[in-house]
Amino acid sequence: LLVLQAAIWQALNHYAYRDAVFLAERLYAEVHSEEALFLLATCYYRSGKAYKAYRLLKGHSCTTPQCKYLLAKCCVDLSKLAEGEQILSGGVLNKQKSHDDIVMEFGDSACFTLSLLGHVYCKTDRLAKGSECYQKSLSLNPFLWSPFESLCEIGEKPDPDQTFKLTSLQNFSSCLPNTCTTLVSNHSISHRQPETVLMETPQDTIELNRINLESSNSKYSSLNTDSSVSYIDPAVISPDSLGSGTAMFSKPPQNKPKTGRSLLGGPAALTPLTPSFGILPLDTPSPGDGSYLQNYTNSSSVIDVPATGAPSKKAVSRISQAGTKSVFSQSGNSREVTPIFAQTQSSGPQTSTTPQVLSPTIAAPPNALPRRSSRLFTSDSSTTKENSKKLKMKFPPKIPNRKTKSKTNKGGITQPNINDSLEITKLDSSIISEGKISTVTPQIQAFTLQKAAAEGLMSLLRDMGKGYLALCSYNCKEAISILSHLPSHHYNTGWVLCQIGRAYFELAEYMQAERIFSEVRRIENYRVEGMEIYSTTLWHLQKDVALSVLSKDLTDMDKNSPEAWCAAGNCFSLQREHDIAIKFFQRAIQVDPNYAYAYTLLGHEFVLTEELDKALACFRNAIRVNPRHYNAWYGLGMIYYKQEKFSLAEMHFQKALDINPQSSVLLCHIGVVQHALKKSEKALDTLNKAINIDPKNPLCKFHRASVLFANEKYKSALQELEELKQIVPKESLVYFLIGKVYKKLGQTHLALMNFSWAMDLDPKGANNQIKEAIDKRYLPDDEEPITQEEQISESGTDESQESSMTDADDTQLHAVESDEF
Amino acid sequence: MTTPNKTPPGADPKQLERTGTVREIGSQAVWSLSSCKPGFGVDQLRDDNLETYWQSDGSQPHLVNIQFRRKTTVKTLCIYADYKSDESYTPSKISVRVGNNFHNLQEIRQLELVEPSGWIHVPLTDTHKKPIRTFMIQIAVLANHQNGRDTHMRQIKVYTPVEESSIGKFPRCTTIDFMMYRTIR
Repeated sequence: LLVLQAAIWQALNHYAYRDAVFLAERLYAEVHSEEALFLLATCYYRSGKAYKAYRLLKGHSCTTPQCKYLLAKCCVDLSKLAEGEQILSGGVLNKQKSHDDIVMEFGDSACFTLSLLGHVYCKTDRLAKGSECYQKSLSLNPFLWSPFESLCEIGEKPDPDQTFKLTSLQNFSSCLPNTCTTLVSNHSISHRQPETVLMETPQDTIELNRINLESSNSKYSSLNTDSSVSYIDPAVISPDSLGSGTAMFSKPPQNKPKTGRSLLGGPAALTPLTPSFGILPLDTPSPGDGSYLQNYTNSSSVIDVPATGAPSKKAVSRISQAGTKSVFSQSGNSREVTPIFAQTQSSGPQTSTTPQVLSPTIAAPPNALPRRSSRLFTSDSSTTKENSKKLKMKFPPKIPNRKTKSKTNKGGITQPNINDSLEITKLDSSIISEGKISTVTPQIQAFTLQKAAAEGLMSLLRDMGKGYLALCSYNCKEAISILSHLPSHHYNTGWVLCQIGRAYFELAEYMQAERIFSEVRRIENYRVEGMEIYSTTLWHLQKDVALSVLSKDLTDMDKNSPEAWCAAGNCFSLQREHDIAIKFFQRAIQVDPNYAYAYTLLGHEFVLTEELDKALACFRNAIRVNPRHYNAWYGLGMIYYKQEKFSLAEMHFQKALDINPQSSVLLCHIGVVQHALKKSEKALDTLNKAINIDPKNPLCKFHRASVLFANEKYKSALQELEELKQIVPKESLVYFLIGKVYKKLGQTHLALMNFSWAMDLDPKGANNQIKEAIDKRYLPDDEEPITQEEQISESGTDESQESSMTDADDTQLHAVESDEF
Repeated sequence: MTTPNKTPPGADPKQLERTGTVREIGSQAVWSLSSCKPGFGVDQLRDDNLETYWQSDGSQPHLVNIQFRRKTTVKTLCIYADYKSDESYTPSKISVRVGNNFHNLQEIRQLELVEPSGWIHVPLTDTHKKPIRTFMIQIAVLANHQNGRDTHMRQIKVYTPVEESSIGKFPRCTTIDFMMYRTIR
């Protein structure tokens, strides 16, 4: 049975879901244990069929925390929020469990449980409870980014400094999968937890390295026959002992390494691949040997990591890790890619062989930093099967356990252990592979190293947290500056650049935003998150070719992402094909009904097609999904403005402003509305504020001029307009307004001149208002005006012309706008 | 005078749409016909396809009624007629009437077509040269070429002027610099 379990985990690790599912079904048929149930459900979930896992788990009793967690996750995925909540916390009607109860029940996976629960609360409008859950989750595991992100998004202001710190060892260990530790059941592994962390701290680049401990383990096992080290149970290591292996592997899976950060190397000898973190030499035989394995690269090439320094300093004494050496050697051969320097602390199986692989240069390790290479966390050594128990891995971490098959010991599978840390792509987290430390000293050393590496990670997270928080509170300039100070290898990643791009977008600096986003497209062209903002930026800049290319690329790449359809809709909206744009936005909503921006864009399209009721409904939907979506509040305000319900409009604009106080466009609109409500003083104040915030916004000046004009302050209006003329010399509106001012001032010659300039600048000649303005000027006179008008207007089509108008221009000339000034 | 000039074809209305000054609103109206041959009805008149057409099947005048849910500003009507393909089915005299309902219609325009071969733009303006505001438009075909009884009409489009979307009652801005700041999307 254990063999079967091992086989299943191995299949899972290799993404061979059909195999895994098949075997798991047989296992479950054989043994109706809850563990087998969990394993089967995991196989279903990982292969993408959450509904199968859901129905399976529902049909049977789930008492273990893992099963419950997985069932709750399935419920949430299938939008059965009430049910999910009930499973996790007892539901609305029953007595609810307190957070502490949850922590006790779920143990290491409590942080993920609470995060999930927080998500449920937030989606069901209980933001306070949700935020509490998120906070607790973060306090349990500061490596989690998504609770922090969610907190920022709902408007809370979590303090990154408080959140991302390693308070105690306890914390540390609980975050990381214990798996590492487990192994060694026999040995008191000091903690697996701390995987070898790269000390990169200074730079924060911490690579998480998933050294596949497992694999290493397995290797080790095979390798180490002598297993001198007690640590690793030979049994564990030996492939044959699957059973034992299971024991080994079963590391305390509890944590679901969601973040994948913590990857603890698999059991015992995890030989950390060389993460950038320091490597602890694994030398089983005697800790004394100082072989430090500081960095060793699996591949022959040693990577030099820019020494961030810290880790290297520590002489990593060897942690006698068995096998690490051997592992290394193995891995060394295995090429693998991102050679990660790992400070392998992992207690790999100790092999007496000194790692040749390691290029133990003490100096070397330190820099290993940021190897961003894949950080794998093998932590779960779960790998494999065993974890079944506790592992609730949500993510299909590739558990590199090949352990079970370690028989073959193929070399270097270790590499494969690299699991992608999903979120870690952006962050390098140092993964520390736990190594078992045979001796105390090495243990402590290893631990310290790990801690240092984790500190580095925390520091990175703190900075990013601050940047993200600033962005969510729309302190865009600050966000940009914080994020720009990240180390360059982090800065040049999709996530960071997208946030910066978004910050520029919110500041209405569309040129800058476009520049940044095109960089994102260049380095990470598989990224869709954030591309909707890029598409709107291009829409504002009216770059139809670029927008069309973007939307085609995105829709080709991922038809299931709302961002791609939003981009397509924006593209057609720019071409003024509103019906098609509406279709695409509706498709975006179909693909993801919880995506607020799609509703907002759809609302804007409906406004453009004058279907104001539908537009109102869309904006309201957007707000339902995300109450902090200030664009939707703005949209509502615009509709009320069009319907001339000015006080309602002002109220909604104000709500939008409360969320995003530094938007000069919003302030400009509020100013105009206030003017419409006859509160001209306030209007001027607001417009002044807008100009102060963003002096580059020409519309603010324009509207200020028009307010002044309406209040008969002609001189100041003219002054404003003259300045504006300098800034935007080709804008016909400016001349138009100047003309009106002169007209009022009685300087008809200048007025006429400006009107004619305005008409010249208006390429379509469709601004009948201008013509009218000229016309009205001459209203008292009879024929004169007409001839004048004819001279001024473009073609001399006149009313008397027979029916068929052949020219579009004619049409325009005939249809005169009735808007009055 | 002796040989009437042929009616020259107008520009494709799609181009009009792209200027952003007008918007097609036929989809917001209810269309009805005085008569039609099965398979050649309203759908063929509104399908954006110049190959398909409406063929009437009754006595003259043939009517196309366009009724809006609310009083709408209409700037232009575009009709596609092609003498070469329709010959005696091509309308030659069209009257455009507007009003609140069937009993309230008033003719505002009459067109004479002579061997048309494309789009015909019919601006609809009132006495003050502004686009009309109406609940209903009726297009009546009073006579066809060669005195044909029934008529073919290939496509009809109704355009309304686009309202300024920015705030303030100003004409539209012309430069991107202004337009960028006009709205939050």
